Amino acid sequence: MDEPIKITRQKRLFDISPEMANVCLTCGACSSGCPATGLVPGWDPRKAIRAIVLGMEQEVVDSKWPWVCTLCGRCQYVCPMGVLLLKTFRACRIARDRDKVPGPLQKGTDMCFERGNNLGIPKDDFLFLLADMSTEVEEDEETPMPGFHVPVDKEGANVIITINSKEPFGEPDDMIFWWKIFYAAKESWTVSSENWEGVNWGLFSGDDANMKIQCERVLENARRLKCKTLVYPE
Amino acid sequence: MEYIKDGRLNIDKTKHQMPTTVHDPCNYGRKSYMTFGDHHADNIRWITKQCIDEEHYREMVDSPLNNLCCGAGGGAWALPYDEERLAYGKYKSDQIKATGAELVVTPCHNCRDQIMKGLAKEHDLGNYKETMYLWELVAESLIIEPWNDEEVAKGHAERDAQNEKFEIDLDQEW
Repeated sequence: MDEPIKITRQKRLFDISPEMANVCLTCGACSSGCPATGLVPGWDPRKAIRAIVLGMEQEVVDSKWPWVCTLCGRCQYVCPMGVLLLKTFRACRIARDRDKVPGPLQKGTDMCFERGNNLGIPKDDFLFLLADMSTEVEEDEETPMPGFHVPVDKEGANVIITINSKEPFGEPDDMIFWWKIFYAAKESWTVSSENWEGVNWGLFSGDDANMKIQCERVLENARRLKCKTLVYPE
Repeated sequence: MEYIKDGRLNIDKTKHQMPTTVHDPCNYGRKSYMTFGDHHADNIRWITKQCIDEEHYREMVDSPLNNLCCGAGGGAWALPYDEERLAYGKYKSDQIKATGAELVVTPCHNCRDQIMKGLAKEHDLGNYKETMYLWELVAESLIIEPWNDEEVAKGHAERDAQNEKFEIDLDQEW
């Protein structure tokens, strides 16, 4: 007969209490309610949690599972025993070597750290685009907004808004929705000239240090410009 | 929401006369509740119903906290697993179809892109015609009054000072 597995705190990839093996009742509520169940052969939330508590963290970390899981939190919400599944699966992303993070996630995270936005849009191009579009919007045939411009680095503005870099990069007209609302409401608002990125890829890539830096930058912009309200439409 | 409550926006409800439903992003519903003990599902619906007539609203879920992810959460757009992302969204597609809605409103970039650019092409969404950001629905429902001369002059002065500060020359060739 095989020896029973001994679960200890030693040699764990991340901080999992050995008691977790008993806390999880293997009821499968997590897997039943998970739209990702069946998408990665061999894995679902229940199996991944069992593997992790039994000391097979590395297998889960190396698998596609933590990345096909969208971190929606439904498993953790329904777990009758309060197992922190969402937190554990994100810990699996953190445990991936940075050069093995799939797709452009980590590249975008690093780009944001270096250049202030995920796609590396230069400051001059960004400011020119906003100024150029402001003129077009003012004279728009359907809904003209005379007097409109995008206020950049306006100190003391009531509202500061972040921007999803995909918009200046590929869907610039989508920025106009917020501009129309601010114009109609006659709001005092602004955009920062730097670190205006409204997407935090460190959250998804499992890069906590960069995630915090990104949060701090967004808050710092609001503090520097003395804005009362931060709008983060992501 | 404040703008609407304070009467700062003039909204024309007749612009979007079509069956409409709301998709709750995980972050504004369930995960907000799990993290902060409060969520925004009611606010999303309230704002939507300021822009469309109540009779056009179709509810998608019994509980917003138990809602299904669209399939594009967790940075899925920047991951190489498109096949899984679209298969994941089959459940959301069926939910949208069951509402009979033509318009899906959602306040999230990932959800909007997944429903508009992913699910609408991959799955049968029934009556579905379009997806809008919540702020897009508000912006496109507005009756925008042009500012008066004084306000326009002030705006232009601020704009000119700003362009000078950042050395932006709109006439230059690119």
